[in-house]
Amino acid sequence: MLKIKELQASIGEAQILKGLNLTINPGEVHAIMGPNGSGKSTLASVLAGREDYEVNGGGVQFNGEDLLEMDATERARSGLFLAFQYPVEIPGVSNINFMRAAVNGKREHQGLEPIKGKEFLDMVKEKAKLVELDGRLRNRSVNEGFSGGEKKRNEIFQMAMLEPNLAILDETDSGLDIDALRIVSEGVNAMRSPERSFLVITHYQRLLEYIVPDFVHVLVDGRIVRSGGKELALELEEKGYDWIKEDAVA
Amino acid sequence: MRDLSKPQVMDRPRKSTQNSKAQEAGRKWVEQLEKQLEAATSQFDEALATLPVPHRRVERWKYTPVNGWWRAIGKRAQITAKQAGCEPCPIPGLDAYRLVFVNGEFDAEASDLPVYPGIVCSPLSLVPQTDQAPRGSNSLEQEDWFAALNGKFAKEGLFLRIGDGISLDRPLLVHHHSTGEGCAAFLRHDIEIGVNAEIKLIHWSTASQPSRGVVNISTKATVGSNGRFQLDKVQDEEGHIQHMAFEEIQQAQDSRVDVYTMTIRGQWVRNDASFRLDGKGAHAELNGIYLPDNTEFVDNHTTVDHRAAHCTSSEHYKGILYGKSTGVFNGKVFVRPDAQQTNAYQQNANILVSDQATMNAKPELEIYADDVKCSHGCTIGQFDEEALFYAQSRGVGVDAAKAMLVHAFIDEILDGVAVHEVRLEVNHRLAEKHQWTEWSDHLE
Amino acid sequence: MAYDGKDKVLEEVTGKAYEFGFTTEIESDKAPAGLSEDIIRLISAKKEEPDWLLQWRLEAFAVWQTMEEPDWPHLNYEKPDYQAISYYAAPKQKKQLNSLDEVDPELRRTMDKLGISMEEQKRLSGVAVDFVMDSVSVATSFKDKLAELGIIFCSMSEAVKEHPELVRRHLGTVVPTRDNFFSALNSAVFTDGSFCYIPKGVRCPMELSTYFRINESGTGQFERTLVVADEGSYVSYLEGCTAPQRDENQLHAAVVELVALDEAEIKYSTVQNWYPGDAEGKGGVYNFVTKRGICHRRSKISWTQVETGSAVTWKYPSCILKGDHSVGEFYSVAVTNNAQQADTGTKMIHLGKHTHSTIISKGISAGNSHNSYRGLVQIMPSASNARNFSQCDSLLMTDTSGAHTFPYIEVKNPTAQVEHEATTSKIGEDQLFYCLQRGIDAEQAISLIVNGYAKEVLNQLPMEFAVEAQKLLSISLEGSVG
Repeated sequence: MLKIKELQASIGEAQILKGLNLTINPGEVHAIMGPNGSGKSTLASVLAGREDYEVNGGGVQFNGEDLLEMDATERARSGLFLAFQYPVEIPGVSNINFMRAAVNGKREHQGLEPIKGKEFLDMVKEKAKLVELDGRLRNRSVNEGFSGGEKKRNEIFQMAMLEPNLAILDETDSGLDIDALRIVSEGVNAMRSPERSFLVITHYQRLLEYIVPDFVHVLVDGRIVRSGGKELALELEEKGYDWIKEDAVA
Repeated sequence: MRDLSKPQVMDRPRKSTQNSKAQEAGRKWVEQLEKQLEAATSQFDEALATLPVPHRRVERWKYTPVNGWWRAIGKRAQITAKQAGCEPCPIPGLDAYRLVFVNGEFDAEASDLPVYPGIVCSPLSLVPQTDQAPRGSNSLEQEDWFAALNGKFAKEGLFLRIGDGISLDRPLLVHHHSTGEGCAAFLRHDIEIGVNAEIKLIHWSTASQPSRGVVNISTKATVGSNGRFQLDKVQDEEGHIQHMAFEEIQQAQDSRVDVYTMTIRGQWVRNDASFRLDGKGAHAELNGIYLPDNTEFVDNHTTVDHRAAHCTSSEHYKGILYGKSTGVFNGKVFVRPDAQQTNAYQQNANILVSDQATMNAKPELEIYADDVKCSHGCTIGQFDEEALFYAQSRGVGVDAAKAMLVHAFIDEILDGVAVHEVRLEVNHRLAEKHQWTEWSDHLE
Repeated sequence: MAYDGKDKVLEEVTGKAYEFGFTTEIESDKAPAGLSEDIIRLISAKKEEPDWLLQWRLEAFAVWQTMEEPDWPHLNYEKPDYQAISYYAAPKQKKQLNSLDEVDPELRRTMDKLGISMEEQKRLSGVAVDFVMDSVSVATSFKDKLAELGIIFCSMSEAVKEHPELVRRHLGTVVPTRDNFFSALNSAVFTDGSFCYIPKGVRCPMELSTYFRINESGTGQFERTLVVADEGSYVSYLEGCTAPQRDENQLHAAVVELVALDEAEIKYSTVQNWYPGDAEGKGGVYNFVTKRGICHRRSKISWTQVETGSAVTWKYPSCILKGDHSVGEFYSVAVTNNAQQADTGTKMIHLGKHTHSTIISKGISAGNSHNSYRGLVQIMPSASNARNFSQCDSLLMTDTSGAHTFPYIEVKNPTAQVEHEATTSKIGEDQLFYCLQRGIDAEQAISLIVNGYAKEVLNQLPMEFAVEAQKLLSISLEGSVG
């Protein structure tokens, strides 16, 4: 599904990703962990197509196509979803209308007619249940006045609506209390399927107790320096990142 | 046809709205002045004849009545601070260098000039004009009749040069005192602050009762990279003084300037502060309070001109208006095409205490760059009756309760004043003027 | 109007030049260019006006000659040559029309192109249309229905003939002839417009609406609108504009006067889409409009405007809050793109006790345009316990446009509470990226964000107008972000 080869990316003068390799097959859940500044969020942004970053080496294949050739909208419509670390507020635009525009954008890409009103509303109701997003939040402006937890739940709701092939969760656990974390994780787990893959970016092992990954990778200084199973996360939690950093240098 | 490749900055002077009556009044008054004072230069004669003499139809003077200016000017009294019975340093307990001017003349005896390596500080009259900042380069002097007037007549003032990396060990106080009838005083302060240099300046104006006349002060300061300039400006003039002050401040990269304008007393006061942020990352802080009473008039005009990227400015003026007083606030934030990532904030809050007081406010934003964050706010209201009642219901007297609310309102500004003694004295004098119980005693 | 949801609106955003740019060829009855007493006498005579009106016009002309075109707005344009303008043009209509069938077929096609075909309008219950082509009204519908309620809704020239006492009592009372340069000009030469009177206690059951167009090349348009809401009545009045494409500048100097008597309410909504000129600013309408309402005791006037057109806009719909407990509101969205310039805002003059006013202004600047808010809030000594809240936001789409705010606040009463807030910011890169990541393309994303930003104002519009306004916002900003 996703093949990242020797990916290099920079912002301004700073080189952040320095040759990153990662392959994700359908149905797999990969976690990327790493210390602050290692390039985790950069990876998410580059994959989603944020223009502030310059890709200056390597390549990314997504469902057999060159991902880097597509603009952000095309990537989204081809099934790549990014749950933002800091979801953005759009005053005056209701969540519902926002989603309708997004769903129809995807349908247009697939050569489908715009979704019918009733069908859409049923879908909203069904998906909202996943993350316990009540009607009030659905009808409010996108993320405006939402609490931290509500924003993250809204991200997962949107993911459920758009049914991506690959979902990237960028530090979705940051700033969540345990209840919100549980709701968000359950939403994600409900969406796991043999066709859908996840890339979970996190700083803490805690999230991985809820969303259990197939693979864990450690990102240090723009490269994946170690990969393993879910037990690697526990090891990191115990020992911190320093031993890996030292290893990496050595 | 407009050039559309860049945003067109429309600060072009509007058609000069000359009014023949005002023009005539201005001309006559200049004639009077010429008889009493020796002009410093003749280079402004044409400007004075052609610039519109302010009147209500000139936008910058819409809310500022100038009739009082055309009163008769007499021979000014050559008098020292001592003879006038004026304390050279009006701020008790202040340890500062000092320049004292009386009726626009330097009083050497009352002054205490700094002798400090890397610093030149002297009365302007002792500095050859060739060494002074050139007259007329100041944009206000090209546009404003009263500023041009200062250019023509001001011979005295502060001349200050702070060398690179130098910071003066104590604050510098400039004290101007007016006394007597029909006096016209023109002062011109010429200040250059070097790279990484620092100065705290206090500008204090007083006038004795009875006095009648005009004061016109122009301050021009340039601040070098990473330089720091703090100016505490206090106006506390008894009598009938028409007081006009211009500040034109230019800031280089990463410099920081804080100006606090505090008007305690003054029959007619207009402050015109103009900031130019020329270098990246410069920060300007403009704050002020005014508490006019009776028929006093206080006008604060400010312009912050963002000309470089990444600059910030913050402006906060607060006023409480008593009696039949009138207040004016006109703040302009100007963001030029290349000044991206500007962050400008402006706030003006007013309380009208009496039903005969008037407040006119005009906070303006003029923005020609897109990646900016600018906001301004303005409020005009009265004391919070609920809070007043609450305090009273807890046994606090009306006057004390009001004083408490006044302080709650203005302390936000006073807390930032650079020199602690200035703050205390301003507080003290405000209490004296408005007959508040010395409020701080109650609660501390 | 067929409309199913926002998405349809958004679909239409792409690839549109000014779509209402066509000219109807109708033979015009046109006066020679230039302005003089003779021309005014000619206009008055052609319209068979009473003598008092002619005298009133002549007085206004005398005042106008002593006045100068204002220089204070934040606008930069070549001042029109007032002697090169023709001040009267009437489509050659021989007689009064009783039904739509009698309207010139050419004119009917024009209306069809504008999407306001009379048949559709007629079917669309609740909207009566007084269609003004250049200067003379040619058709009015729903008149009979309104007449039953005693509501008068007709062209100004008809009102002068049929209801002279009402017109004479109110004309020029809110906007005096000498008020400003453009109102004086309008008073001297106005050719037609709309008149509306709602009797005591009557709630007008439908939105009254007028569509204006400038048609005759080189013809200035001087509309005069007067709306009088008698005690306890209510009316919602809609005004919309589209104009054909022109090479030379066209002058539009309308005057609108609203009178809300005790406990009456007038809601006046405008969607303004005059031809803005081409991308370089060539051509386009000069829109110098004076709109003002007077509020008597416990009455309310609410102005809502969506301004997307015109090369130059100079417009300050205002309220004089004379009566105690009266309320004034101003909701505005002004979009400027390419080389457009707008200097617009409101004046709220508080005279009565417990008067309240609200100002919500949303400016959007794109291209090389300039968009200024200019407003006055004045609390006079008599206005005890007056309240004002103003919110003026500016959104910048490009680094070559300008957004400016010039609020004037004058308070002469200590019991007043006046609050003004303003912000200026760029359209958020983060918001844009968030939309893109959800598969919404850039044009649509901008449209969403902008419509969201302007929602507070759009919500004030009657339904039919809200839809049109959304469409206009999107079209006006098309291609504005690279």
